[in-house]
Amino acid sequence: MKKGILLSLMSLFFVVSMSGQKYFTRDGKISFFSDTPMEKIEAHNSKATSVLDASNGNLEFAVLIKAFQFEKALMQEHFNENYMESSKFPKSSFKGKVANIKDINLKKDGEYNATVKGQLTIHGVTKDVETTGKFVVAGGKISAKSTFNVAVADYDIAIPAVVRDNIAKTVKITVDIKFEELKQ
Amino acid sequence: MKKTILIGVLVLGAIGAITAYFMYNKPHKDMEAASADITLEATALFAAFQADEQAANAQYLDKVVQVSGKVKHVTEEDGKISVTLDSGDEMSGVVCQLDDLSTPSRTDFKEGEEVTFKGMCTGVLLDVVLVRCVEVP
Repeated sequence: MKKGILLSLMSLFFVVSMSGQKYFTRDGKISFFSDTPMEKIEAHNSKATSVLDASNGNLEFAVLIKAFQFEKALMQEHFNENYMESSKFPKSSFKGKVANIKDINLKKDGEYNATVKGQLTIHGVTKDVETTGKFVVAGGKISAKSTFNVAVADYDIAIPAVVRDNIAKTVKITVDIKFEELKQ
Repeated sequence: MKKTILIGVLVLGAIGAITAYFMYNKPHKDMEAASADITLEATALFAAFQADEQAANAQYLDKVVQVSGKVKHVTEEDGKISVTLDSGDEMSGVVCQLDDLSTPSRTDFKEGEEVTFKGMCTGVLLDVVLVRCVEVP
């Protein structure tokens, strides 16, 4: 009898651990766009890391600020040295959850809308954020996309008066990830 | 007299505008010509970040770092090639993302091959990440 319970517990444990699917990437694309009548600025980073745990919806991102690449060297310099202080704060990160993970079947082809909630840390300042995104599962390959806005002032980033008209107060951020299954 | 002042102001203004224009259009660092600030093995670079991330950041960020190591794997995403060098750790490596602004002499890196890259060190996530890497033959 005891053996039976033990066995069923073990098989249950096995099933639970099997369904605890994790996905990750180390080649995630994160870009941002600042658009004012004076100037359009964009920068791209294709080395973001992300981990998604499909069993509970836990989602994390991390990105190195110095790996953002701009068209103009001067902008990249100002971004790193003056605005983001990337030597002091080399990373930005997000830790949170896909709130509606239960409605998303990453094993089945399709498009799924996602609501993501969590804490975003930029320039050493952490804020609660909520945004929407989309998971696309096609041929077993999982990709995720999201676009959201961040107010520069929320993260204590000071823009000097001289360039105030050149840099948007709200910056658009796009996330484009292809997840791979994490084999444990 | 007044004319001289006016001309002087105009000349200064023009110099200012030209300087501003060139500063605004300042080119990115030429990675092919750049000389390495620090040269070390990929395993040593990773070990430094493992041991003390803050100290390693202070030492390596924004520096042209030249790393040598064994190719663990090569990935390509939208034409951007990244070569991961063995760091001695199973989960992590030293990622060298090839420079966008110059043409690489080759991209056919083989697993297990010994290579040397110089690039800008940007920090550590799962891997130590170097961007704008150029192969050092």
